[in-house]
Amino acid sequence: MNKNGFRDFLNDLEDAEQLKHIKKPVDCRQLSSLGDQVDEATIFENIIDYPGWRVATALVSTRKRLAIAMGCPENRVAFEFESRSTRPIKPISVKSAPCQEIVMEGDNVDLTTIPLPMMHLFDGGPYISGTFAISNDPEHGSNVGCYRLMYRTPNETGIDLVSPSDMRFYYQRALDKGEPLPIAIAVGVHPLDMLAASYKAPIDIDELALAGGLRGQALEMVKCKSLDLEVPADAEMILEGELLPIGWTADEGPFGEFSQISGDVKWNPVFRIKCITHRRDPIFYMLQMPWENDWLAAPVTEAAGLQALRIASVQPVDIRAPVGSCGYWSLIASIKKRPGEGKNAVAALLSVAEVKFVIVTDEDIDIYDPDELDWAIAFRVQANQDAIILEGARAKHIDPSVKSWLLGKGGLPTTAKLGIDATIPEGVPKILYRRIKNYGRDRFKLEDFE
Amino acid sequence: MSPLAKKIKKSLESNAEQFHDIVDQHMDIPWQEFLRAWGELRAAEILKRDDAGGYFIKIKQK
Repeated sequence: MNKNGFRDFLNDLEDAEQLKHIKKPVDCRQLSSLGDQVDEATIFENIIDYPGWRVATALVSTRKRLAIAMGCPENRVAFEFESRSTRPIKPISVKSAPCQEIVMEGDNVDLTTIPLPMMHLFDGGPYISGTFAISNDPEHGSNVGCYRLMYRTPNETGIDLVSPSDMRFYYQRALDKGEPLPIAIAVGVHPLDMLAASYKAPIDIDELALAGGLRGQALEMVKCKSLDLEVPADAEMILEGELLPIGWTADEGPFGEFSQISGDVKWNPVFRIKCITHRRDPIFYMLQMPWENDWLAAPVTEAAGLQALRIASVQPVDIRAPVGSCGYWSLIASIKKRPGEGKNAVAALLSVAEVKFVIVTDEDIDIYDPDELDWAIAFRVQANQDAIILEGARAKHIDPSVKSWLLGKGGLPTTAKLGIDATIPEGVPKILYRRIKNYGRDRFKLEDFE
Repeated sequence: MSPLAKKIKKSLESNAEQFHDIVDQHMDIPWQEFLRAWGELRAAEILKRDDAGGYFIKIKQK
């Protein structure tokens, strides 16, 4: 059995005094709002009308807790992610699994027996927000991603498949043949598994092996009860079913997006569930939006930025995806610069996913200090030489400025991107950037005069 | 259709409502019972959406 599954992470949070237990009875309509008022991660022990179930939330809604999941200092999460991602470990198959202790099949499938939470004010329905979705394509193999599910009926949910993704590609291929796409959804897996799932890996990269690399241990997988797919054995709950071949035709959303915006109604496929399995004493994982999603997004974006810089032969010193732009839309990096590499770095970082704003500085700038960044932009940037704008790049629907509602059902938006090279310009002597320092500052100590 | 589903249907035939408004009106109903009623309306394929994300039901013309 894996030693670092979902429950082991709850224990890690407990040890770090980062897990609050709420033992009074709580209704599913209260879960998200109450969880949002707690500084720590939260586990609700008593869910009204759902005996035997517990609900855990906000497990990684701070960088501190994400660092606990990774087992490293907070400022090393992206570097650790990048390092471990180069050492994938293939999953292994097991015959039995805790996630299959209880099985609901056929007419017994009933999502209303699961404590589905009412999360945000303008949501289109109750949501399953934290998923580890597995699909397979005969040519390209297995794929894992994170997709929200909106309750529709006891055996159906909506699924957000508007953005470009490997599973969207698999679905399109199945749809072109008029066939459903079988998928399995795991709920309640280790945050490192979620990181692997949300990583925009090339289509031939096995996210399950990536998850193994992040864990430092092979994921144990068990065959689904009704599908020819395997799922993480130590998950809390599994939904097995298929995306119906109806295209982007069913209303889904709004949902409190990781952009910190409520979003709008989208048109998406429907997920029909054939089988639900779960543990005998299950814990439902409610991924708390937006912070939990944002902190999961940040190291993935940062690691992709590090890789892009290295491919461009630029040496990174530090990188961060600010949570203000949801850990997704902006990247700030400092580099050890050689002539021209400020621009190379900007171009490389602008190529990452849907990142639309980039700042690159020299290594003397502390990129975690907004005043330092302002200073670099003020004195190392000439707008006509150091700002780069790319137009027509891939975008995400949930950015209102891309006007995705004009595209019609299933349409994909584009965006413009801005990069700023805030490194010392070529030809400007570094001596002109000598910072003010008081005479004798290292020798004259205030304590000697008090 | 269950009495609760019929009640929600009647309400959505007269006004578009956000999902949270519908939830608010039924806080005294057990969540599972509410979800089942909502599922009945979904299964009947009669729910429409307005531009603000509200739900409504069109009354069939005779």
